[in-house]
Amino acid sequence: MFYHHLRNELWKLFGKKRTYIGFGAFLLAQNAMLLAFRFTHWQKNMEQVLAGNGYLARDYISTLTVAVVMLIPQILLLMPLYAALVGGDLVAKEAEDGTLRMILSRPISRFRLLLVKWMAGGIFAAVLAVALGATALTFARFWFPWRGMFVFAPGMVFNVLPPAEGLRLYLCSHFFLAINASVILSLAFMFSCFNMKPAAATILALSFLFLNLVMEGIPFFEQYHEWFLPYHFRSWLLVYAQPIPWERVTGSLLILLAYNLTSFLIGTAAFQARDIKS
Amino acid sequence: MIRLKEVQKAFGQHLAVDGLTLHVAAGQIFGLLGHNGAGKSTAIGMMLGQVWPTRGEITICGFDVTKQRQEALQPVGAIFESPAFYDYLSGFRNLEILSSYSAPTSRSRISEVIDWVGLTGRENSKVRTYSHGMRARLALAQALLPNPQLLILDEPSDGLDPEGIHDMRLTILRLHRELGLTILLSSHFLNEVEQLCTRIAVLSHGHMVFEGDLAAARRPAVWIRLKTGDFDQATALLRGADLIGDTRDGQFIALRPEVGTDRVVQLLVQRGIAVYEIAPEEETLEQFYLSLMDHEKSQNAQSEDPAPHV
Repeated sequence: MFYHHLRNELWKLFGKKRTYIGFGAFLLAQNAMLLAFRFTHWQKNMEQVLAGNGYLARDYISTLTVAVVMLIPQILLLMPLYAALVGGDLVAKEAEDGTLRMILSRPISRFRLLLVKWMAGGIFAAVLAVALGATALTFARFWFPWRGMFVFAPGMVFNVLPPAEGLRLYLCSHFFLAINASVILSLAFMFSCFNMKPAAATILALSFLFLNLVMEGIPFFEQYHEWFLPYHFRSWLLVYAQPIPWERVTGSLLILLAYNLTSFLIGTAAFQARDIKS
Repeated sequence: MIRLKEVQKAFGQHLAVDGLTLHVAAGQIFGLLGHNGAGKSTAIGMMLGQVWPTRGEITICGFDVTKQRQEALQPVGAIFESPAFYDYLSGFRNLEILSSYSAPTSRSRISEVIDWVGLTGRENSKVRTYSHGMRARLALAQALLPNPQLLILDEPSDGLDPEGIHDMRLTILRLHRELGLTILLSSHFLNEVEQLCTRIAVLSHGHMVFEGDLAAARRPAVWIRLKTGDFDQATALLRGADLIGDTRDGQFIALRPEVGTDRVVQLLVQRGIAVYEIAPEEETLEQFYLSLMDHEKSQNAQSEDPAPHV
């Protein structure tokens, strides 16, 4: 039965057109960024950074390098937006449309229903992250050669890698990207369990993220970076560091998983106490 | 089949349902009547475990809905006003999804129910292409899929055209007759309730103001409809013979106690007054309902009036 319920949720989720908005937006954003990378000073700046550190730009301005460069802003801005959009719909849209009342006239427990919805959301988050990475790599390959990988994130990573090792780490980093997406999705899911419109749940989840971003940037909070969500979201970049700071990566991963679980439990408690009315 | 005992539901300060005690026996078609906001949908929500009661006990087939929701709802199918579906999926897929929340359902069983409600041939079309009547039939199909013993219908005819309302009425009767279902019907259409239900309850402002058999609601009235060649002459004769006490609207008479219509006809015919029709005027459910509501209003008005100062 659990399999059937999860399958139902996936049918519902992937049967809707708005589920695919994020995928479409990624395609557009990635192509716009590729054009910018190809035809503006962006590429020149990277060549200078490489040359300044004794590396030949032509060896490292590659498919893998550009794919990671494209992912950095998308992970922090676009991916949360589309994860929150879907997460906010998971419960609140069904309540708004009236289908939730149809489901809850049947002998399924509210906990079971929310669990399968949340799991379906998690699957969507993983698919979104993988699609984002796959399209970034594919489009970058159209414009740039398959060579070594250069990853640079100020204060976090500076590393050059051979193509095979770069690809392996690129694939690994998608596990962390999927966790990032699932955190935002879980936050939106939690808000959507309360009595509110889907858009309100989406906006609240994004507001939480942006509030974290703003507070993290305030000098007063400089020594409290680890209190904020974006700090842990960036742990996916540490996978490219040499050596990988496993302690920090694991710590961030556990905090993100705790965010997921806490959001689910708060959402479940709120939903359990709610009256479902037309 | 359904028992509510002293059930109360408050939304903040507002009491939506107060002290509701109700019993729907197996095999009945039970009508739930009341104005908008009377508490019908809240009561149905509580029966389905969607709305938590503030106080009281609700059982379906002996299972407490709040504590044993899954067991209580196993034999229940429900239809709501304006049934909602996943419009972007096919009718068949909608039924697959909704039925799976009750029990695993085979494709052949789904096809069988689709056939029963008359949707064969359209089951693979997206629900957004369905007419209102087809959506109503799909709603019926989803309610029938768990093989229910009890159907809870909350305004099932709402939004349907006259033909659709007629079809829904026939279907409800067919469900009761062929499948032996117990049916709880909440409806605004008094004539629908009158034609379908054997027992009714009337709610007003969260309180139950009547529960009883439909026959009791349709009390035979004191008025007899009399069509004669000359109503005034006829009633003067009947008054003279002390057979009637009152008249109304130039066509109704009220008989004296112990007086039958046979004596009225006999007297009028003997005096050469033609009698075309004589029949007791039974109170309709509408009249009964409106008189109940009027009574409620006047009671509320009295209770809201401040006590006169002496």
